[in-house]
Amino acid sequence: MPPRKSHPPRIAGWILKYTARYEENFALFGDFDEEFQEIARTKGTFFARLWYWRQCICSLPVFTRDFFYWRFIMLKNYLKIALRSLKKHKGYSFINISGLAIGMAVCMLIFLWVLNEVSYDRFHEKADRICRITMDFKIGSALHTPVCITAAGPALVDDFAEVVTAARMDRPRRVTVKYEDKTFQEENVGTAENTLFDIFSFPFVSGDPKTALEAPYTVVITESTARKYFGDENPLGKILRINDEKDFSVTGVIKDIPPNSHLQFSMLRSFQTLKAEKSVRDNQWFDLRFYTYLLLDEHNDPGLLEQKLPEFIDKHIGKALNAAGGSAQIFLQPLKRIHLYSDFERDISANSDITYVYLFAGIAIFILLIAGINFINLSTARSTKRAQEVGMRKTMGAVRSRLIGQFLGESMIHSILAMVLAVMLILLLLPLFNSIIGGQLSLNFIQIPWLFAAFLGMALIVGLLAGIYPAFILSSFLPGHVLKGSFKAGGSHSRLRKILVVFQFSISIALIAATIIVTSQILFMKNKELGFNKEHVVVIPQISESIRKSYRPIRSELLSLSGVIDVGASDIVPSRGQLIAPFLPEGFTDDQVMTMDYIDVDAHYIPTMGMKIIAGRNFSDDLATDPDESVLINETAAKKIGWENAVGKRFIFRPPPNSGGKTFYVSVIGVVKDFHMQSLREKIEPLIIFYDEDSLSTLSIRIAPDNIPHTMGLLKKKWKELDPNRPFQFLFLDDSFDSLYRSEESLKTITFCFSFLAVLIGCLGLFGMASFTAEQRTKEIGIRKVLGASIPGIVRLLAKEFMLLVVFANLIALPLAFFVMNRWLQSFAYRMSIHALVFVLPAALSLFIALITVSFQAFRAAFANPVDSLRYE
Amino acid sequence: MKELTKIEEILLLTIWRLKDEAYGVGIRKYVSRIIEKEFTYGNLYSALSQLTKKKYVKKTLGDPTPDRRGRRKIYYSLSPAGLNALKDARKMNQKMWEGISEYAFD
Repeated sequence: MPPRKSHPPRIAGWILKYTARYEENFALFGDFDEEFQEIARTKGTFFARLWYWRQCICSLPVFTRDFFYWRFIMLKNYLKIALRSLKKHKGYSFINISGLAIGMAVCMLIFLWVLNEVSYDRFHEKADRICRITMDFKIGSALHTPVCITAAGPALVDDFAEVVTAARMDRPRRVTVKYEDKTFQEENVGTAENTLFDIFSFPFVSGDPKTALEAPYTVVITESTARKYFGDENPLGKILRINDEKDFSVTGVIKDIPPNSHLQFSMLRSFQTLKAEKSVRDNQWFDLRFYTYLLLDEHNDPGLLEQKLPEFIDKHIGKALNAAGGSAQIFLQPLKRIHLYSDFERDISANSDITYVYLFAGIAIFILLIAGINFINLSTARSTKRAQEVGMRKTMGAVRSRLIGQFLGESMIHSILAMVLAVMLILLLLPLFNSIIGGQLSLNFIQIPWLFAAFLGMALIVGLLAGIYPAFILSSFLPGHVLKGSFKAGGSHSRLRKILVVFQFSISIALIAATIIVTSQILFMKNKELGFNKEHVVVIPQISESIRKSYRPIRSELLSLSGVIDVGASDIVPSRGQLIAPFLPEGFTDDQVMTMDYIDVDAHYIPTMGMKIIAGRNFSDDLATDPDESVLINETAAKKIGWENAVGKRFIFRPPPNSGGKTFYVSVIGVVKDFHMQSLREKIEPLIIFYDEDSLSTLSIRIAPDNIPHTMGLLKKKWKELDPNRPFQFLFLDDSFDSLYRSEESLKTITFCFSFLAVLIGCLGLFGMASFTAEQRTKEIGIRKVLGASIPGIVRLLAKEFMLLVVFANLIALPLAFFVMNRWLQSFAYRMSIHALVFVLPAALSLFIALITVSFQAFRAAFANPVDSLRYE
Repeated sequence: MKELTKIEEILLLTIWRLKDEAYGVGIRKYVSRIIEKEFTYGNLYSALSQLTKKKYVKKTLGDPTPDRRGRRKIYYSLSPAGLNALKDARKMNQKMWEGISEYAFD
């Protein structure tokens, strides 16, 4: 009876099997087994196993060395072949790589942008603990705003232990700043409490952050502002004159604020200044002027705190609110959400929107997808070219997995080359991109080292995903089939290719349609009749006190200039928003107050702007009663109140209780035709117009349309005489209105760029496919020509296939675009109607572009001499 | 012609000595005895595949035995090139060691 066989250790055997790669493997394993049995017989199974393991582990280094050595040899071969086929088919490689590069560049740009968007306000050390108070405030009109009750901040600190500190800040605005002989218009000058520096991380370059803004008439400035005024001198203690009224001493210099901060200012005056001027008191509960930021303690739970806030409001102003029939709710908005999740009125800065982040990220991925599809389509379509090689390799013993590896590797080489190209493209395009989005993005691998890894990772993933399908197709060829020469690949996978082409073009067409809709909505808004004439109006905002006081004589001086047609004044610049307040029309009960916009103007404003009085009369300079007793309203107001004949109707003004004032009335003397004062996103609200020469702050000057530069020159010279202390700042009203649509404009630019790129990449792919089909059907075309086919007939034959796909893509894309863009249009109170042209144009455009792309190849094939193509048969 | 490395020299000599018994197990054990330490299969087959590639040795398939779980042996034998290489190596060694006594390094 033979001795019982001992088994060699399974795991060791397994290791052996997967590391040893020699031709002689079978003998090697045999040797292992033989010696194992021998030792097992003489010394016992245990020692045999021990020996086996030792032998196996000691052999490992050599095995792995040899393993990689052979791999390396093959890798060199793969690389060589990859580069050869790259060189041999320059056209295809170009299409493949450049398409992929464009897609990647777009993706990376958007990635950089998204990265920047989500990085907002995260640089503050205590970012997690900072909240902003937002309010839903309603007395008469409802307000959804981050502007907060003035008294709320300090009261919250007093009432709640978890609120460490609060800081109030106003909205930075433009002021005139003078230092010695230098005068600048400073854009972003705010006012804030010193606690702002406890909450936010704005590092000080000089000055004491603890006390910088503790005293009235102190100011903290940024480094670059300091350089602008003082050069290399020490800015501390220097005196800046603001608005030619008050002197402020510089008590601190902070580092420039990073661009990814929602708070942007160049100077901060001390909050104490306002207190010293008695324009703010800490117990003002019905005053909404300041943005309030809170620092919570370490164990903070904003949600928990928020639950206690209704009680807080009730405690402090509940009674007064009830009396006024109003309501107030306060909420906490975490700092990190401010930039992307704000939809407030009167926000401190223009914020972005998370929808745009998703939208652009989505489009970027789609564009990369289109580029990837090109790759898949061209690779599978051209698989015939590689079939011979695959057959040969298989005959020589290549296994399928190795072939898949080879082709995957090749697609990764492609995608890495594309990435290199994409990085170059980005460096080239960044300045342009920055100017479109108004940002300061940079591609800085040193600053963010992992960016490089991210890009490389993206290249590898794209290479893998785009390469995996072609790799499976290519490696599936049967050598016998291929090498016999009767093989025709490409046909069997054409259905997938068709689907992919339809997909590509659907995206492109949808983007074209979106671009057209955005563009025509902007055109619609810019050309819509506003109810007044916005052309040729020069607006001088924020006139000084002295000008305002001598407004009438100055007005006649300006009128005497040649080219000046009329001059009017108002309290606001149209397009820049106006104030709202509750008003009580006569005959209404006290709880039926109407929320209305109101503006203050002089008697010449209405004619200057070209607004129309449709009933009654305008204010008159000559009637002394007009300023106190008369108002104008707009049509909407008349309609809302329900006055059919509004002229002569009155509003009641009741003084606050206990103030000792008398109730008085103002009567409507005229109705103005509705006009737009804001973006067309907003509806026209009921408006009431007062005649109040004391609150005028903006001059509007209508000038003759001809010889504008001359008129402007005269105006400028005159203004220098009238107001020598301040630079002549003006804007054109039509520009000001156009600038309302800046975010729509940048959306237009971006959808335009995206659709252009999508179409470009799609066409690259189509071009490649078309030339491939033409090439494959050379013989067929030759025979057709010999048999008498006409050139147009052949072109039609070749183009038809692709054109059908594009038609199909249109059928998918247009309804989709309609659906999405219709929702976008809903956000405008006044919107264009979507007409047929919006759909006809993208369809025609896509068909036209596709036709040109395809027919170029089709014509080339059709014109080819059949003798050349048939000679070898 | 390139000189043999020491391990190649040892292997070729071993194969020549073992004649009909020159297969994996035999060669490994013999070499281990000569170099006085364990000579692993990793080193053995790595070197053998190099020698095969350089055409110094020829392979003949042997029979499977139960101990080998059905796997055939490979018997190695010297090719004429292998023999020549050994001759050259011997000549060189002789020249190199000429006139040096066994106790020269004591």
